[in-house]
Amino acid sequence: MILEVDGLQIHYHTAGGTVRAVDGASFAIPEGRIVGLVGESGCGKTTAVRAIMGVLAENGRRAGGRVTFKGKPIDEATTKPLLWRDIAYVPQSAMSSLDPVYTVGTQIVEVLTKRGRHGRAAARARAAELFDLVGLSESRLGDYPHQFSGGMRQRAAIAMALALEPSLLLADEPVTALDVIVQRQILDTLRALQQRLKLSMVLVTHDISVVAYLCDEVVVMYAGQVIESGPVREVLGRPRHPYTMGLRNAFPDLMSDALELVPIAGSPPDLGDPPPGCRFTPRCPFALASCSTQAAAIGSRQDRAHVSACLRDGEADHLRTSALDPVTWQRSSAYATS
Amino acid sequence: MKIVLERFAHNALALLAVTTILFFMFRLMPGTPLAAFINENLNADQQQAMLEQFGLDKPMWMQYFIYLGNLLSGEMGLSFFQRRPVTTILFEVLPNSIVLTLTSLIIAYIFGVLAGAWLAWRRGTWIERVAVPAVLATRAAPEFWIGMVLLALLSFNAGWFPSGGASSPGLAYANNWQRMLSLDYLHHLALPVITLALYLQGLPLLLMRSNMLEVMHEEFVTMARMKGLSEWRIVIGHAARNALLPVVTAFALGVGLSMGGNVVIETVFSWPGIGRLLVQAVSVHDYPLAQGAFLMIALVLALMNFVADLLYMALDPRVSHGRRA
Amino acid sequence: MVDAPETSVVVPPRRGRGQSILPVLRRMAAMPLKDPFAFMGLLIYAQFVAVALFADQLAPVDPLEILFTQAGKVAANVAPGAEFPLGTTNLGRDIYAQLVHGTRSALAVGLSAAIIVATVGTVVGLVAGYFGGTIDAVLMRIADMALSLPFLPFVIVLTGFLGASTSNIVLAVTLLLWPNSARVIRSQVLSLRERAYIEAARVTGASHRRILFVHIAPNILPLSFVYAAIAIGWAIITEASVNFLGFGDPTSVSWGMMLQDAFTSQALSRGQYAWFVPPGICIILVVVAGFFISRGYEEVFMPRLRGR
Repeated sequence: MILEVDGLQIHYHTAGGTVRAVDGASFAIPEGRIVGLVGESGCGKTTAVRAIMGVLAENGRRAGGRVTFKGKPIDEATTKPLLWRDIAYVPQSAMSSLDPVYTVGTQIVEVLTKRGRHGRAAARARAAELFDLVGLSESRLGDYPHQFSGGMRQRAAIAMALALEPSLLLADEPVTALDVIVQRQILDTLRALQQRLKLSMVLVTHDISVVAYLCDEVVVMYAGQVIESGPVREVLGRPRHPYTMGLRNAFPDLMSDALELVPIAGSPPDLGDPPPGCRFTPRCPFALASCSTQAAAIGSRQDRAHVSACLRDGEADHLRTSALDPVTWQRSSAYATS
Repeated sequence: MKIVLERFAHNALALLAVTTILFFMFRLMPGTPLAAFINENLNADQQQAMLEQFGLDKPMWMQYFIYLGNLLSGEMGLSFFQRRPVTTILFEVLPNSIVLTLTSLIIAYIFGVLAGAWLAWRRGTWIERVAVPAVLATRAAPEFWIGMVLLALLSFNAGWFPSGGASSPGLAYANNWQRMLSLDYLHHLALPVITLALYLQGLPLLLMRSNMLEVMHEEFVTMARMKGLSEWRIVIGHAARNALLPVVTAFALGVGLSMGGNVVIETVFSWPGIGRLLVQAVSVHDYPLAQGAFLMIALVLALMNFVADLLYMALDPRVSHGRRA
Repeated sequence: MVDAPETSVVVPPRRGRGQSILPVLRRMAAMPLKDPFAFMGLLIYAQFVAVALFADQLAPVDPLEILFTQAGKVAANVAPGAEFPLGTTNLGRDIYAQLVHGTRSALAVGLSAAIIVATVGTVVGLVAGYFGGTIDAVLMRIADMALSLPFLPFVIVLTGFLGASTSNIVLAVTLLLWPNSARVIRSQVLSLRERAYIEAARVTGASHRRILFVHIAPNILPLSFVYAAIAIGWAIITEASVNFLGFGDPTSVSWGMMLQDAFTSQALSRGQYAWFVPPGICIILVVVAGFFISRGYEEVFMPRLRGR
């Protein structure tokens, strides 16, 4: 495993109290694989990834857990030398992530000379190389961020992320802001790069179809916790957690026939005052009485590749069949009788 | 390029509007319409010359165009009390005003930018809580009052600086440059500049501070952190560089605004500039001189507005470089 | 001059039917309770208002009366003491009395300017922003013209030639100050106009007047107060400046006249700080109070989550 996150807790201190944005998340990234980190907005996926990079907002701090990179534990203080050289970040919106007053070339050269060991000329050559790698023309190095189209800007951001040849790439919703056709192109580029450079990648997204298209493994987060993880085909094809089952229904799949869209009723809990037990209980059509008081621990990956944090994990196959029926989800969120 | 022309036209039209307003204002002043340019102080020849020059016997609308034409060729009439061409008088005192304005602004802005950035750095500390209201107090004080206090303390009391004027009596110089670079001139310049700079620094300081606070929260600053760049590089190279844009524009605008506002400073320190000239001209009803001084100030204002537009367009790549996709 | 960048827009009312003026007024009234600086500003204002109202009780002396000593000589330049808290001028006038009575003219100028500037600015901003088209173009051209006039020189020329009564000063100040508030309010109205609930109101047949006054104006109100508070300060400083330059009414009592008096009678060289420092302090207090209050209302209008 190139990256291991164990029981990570990130708290934000606000005027209204402490928000536990990430509350005990555990997942592992195998070397050389693309892992999707998926969940709805506010589930803590972006916070977790940014915490790994050691950049949290002023009022945020890591309140617990461990992050290990290549076997060595890292925290905000020790991350610095690794930044960009070993772990790099691809932002959601390159427009706001690039300094508007410098050319893109200048910004790439900056990271190459200041964080790498390149001289000016070597840096410029390398920048051209990077642009070529992502499919951008070298002549665009002298352009300012606002002069690029959305898709090309994302490519530039990817080029910049690869500058120092990192081994782990954290991509935070890299294609969310793009239209579908461009999305596919960028995802293809990412896959090609990953294979060519033997990168490990974490792809944060709320879009399951992206995960299905690109990722080898997937980690599902809900309300600050990891509730399921495993190989993509397994998790998406045979989900074990009711939330994942519901997610699957809520997204159309580009590659198959249109499914009936069935949203999951309700909304995630308030992370300033999270409920005890499983956090998905109020929205879960299969919830038992014990679910609201006792949360299931997500299984250890040592035993099985595909794990889920559900008390009814044993009945997963049966629940899954039931989940395919839209009526299941229209029932009110009382404790399940099935 | 089109935008440049557009801004030029805009500012030129504004200036034209001011000139027109001035034209009518002075015509409607108490006294005969001729009173704008003719006064019994002038001798008969001069009066006749003015009559012809400005077509004062012709209908109002013709006078207006003659007036504009004259202005463009730099002809503003004769001062009633100095009996000399207004233009000559104006250009004699203009350098003093320019020196005062530019020196004060440069000092104020350098200080303001540095202090503002530093204060943004010190967010949330007691220093900030005390400093911001203190700076607001400097903006709340009338400039001339600051001048008065400093004059009393540092000139009359401590004797460190002269109490007024731009030069000590009895000194002569070969030319204007020599005069302005002389120690005596600078000695006289010091107190007005200190006063003005003290008053003016509030704006760049607060502006820079607020810009820095905004920019530090921008995504690209977070990105710079994620790249592991040094704090110095992030704050100066990225944050400050972005935060500085509006401040530069404000500087240009400040020059224009200051020329008008310096009226009171020049009076307190008897500094021989355009502002003091205007005040004197108005108090003795020397209409041509008053008009001329006012127009000169308005011209600088319009000019600096235009320069500010140009600066903004040149410094922000989002404006200077169009989309290419 | 290129337009100032837009401030962010107010959150639309929670009640779908548009918002009555009451919640906005409540928020505005509650503002000082949340903002200690604005509260202090209001306190300062309250104090000055009180001084202005009770000037006769606080300083029963006529500020312009030339006072005499026991020996029958003019009580000129008396040092501050028990009898004259701030001393006397070179003509034997009670400085403290002048300071106290000067509050009246300061507040009169400040408040009248503020009210006129806020009213004109708000109305022009509303009309120009809402109706757009030719009305907007014309109004904004006029605003541009007003803005291209150098402020103090214009006031000087106007008062120098028309006479330096308080109303002339207020006139000159308001003529040049209204464009700033008008432009900002206009840009807010422009963005509000496109909001969904305004569209809804239009579709359901609400009249222009109703939309303007019931839906848009309440959102703009805090901005009007921001500029009113700023205008008070500007007006007082301008009036002081004009008086200081000698264009004021010599028979009037104001802080500006005090400063002019002190300056021309060489109080500086005599080190008569008690004469010229207090009026300046008073001006600072009133203007700073205005700044704080305006910042408070700015926060009501555009709550900045990260604080100032």
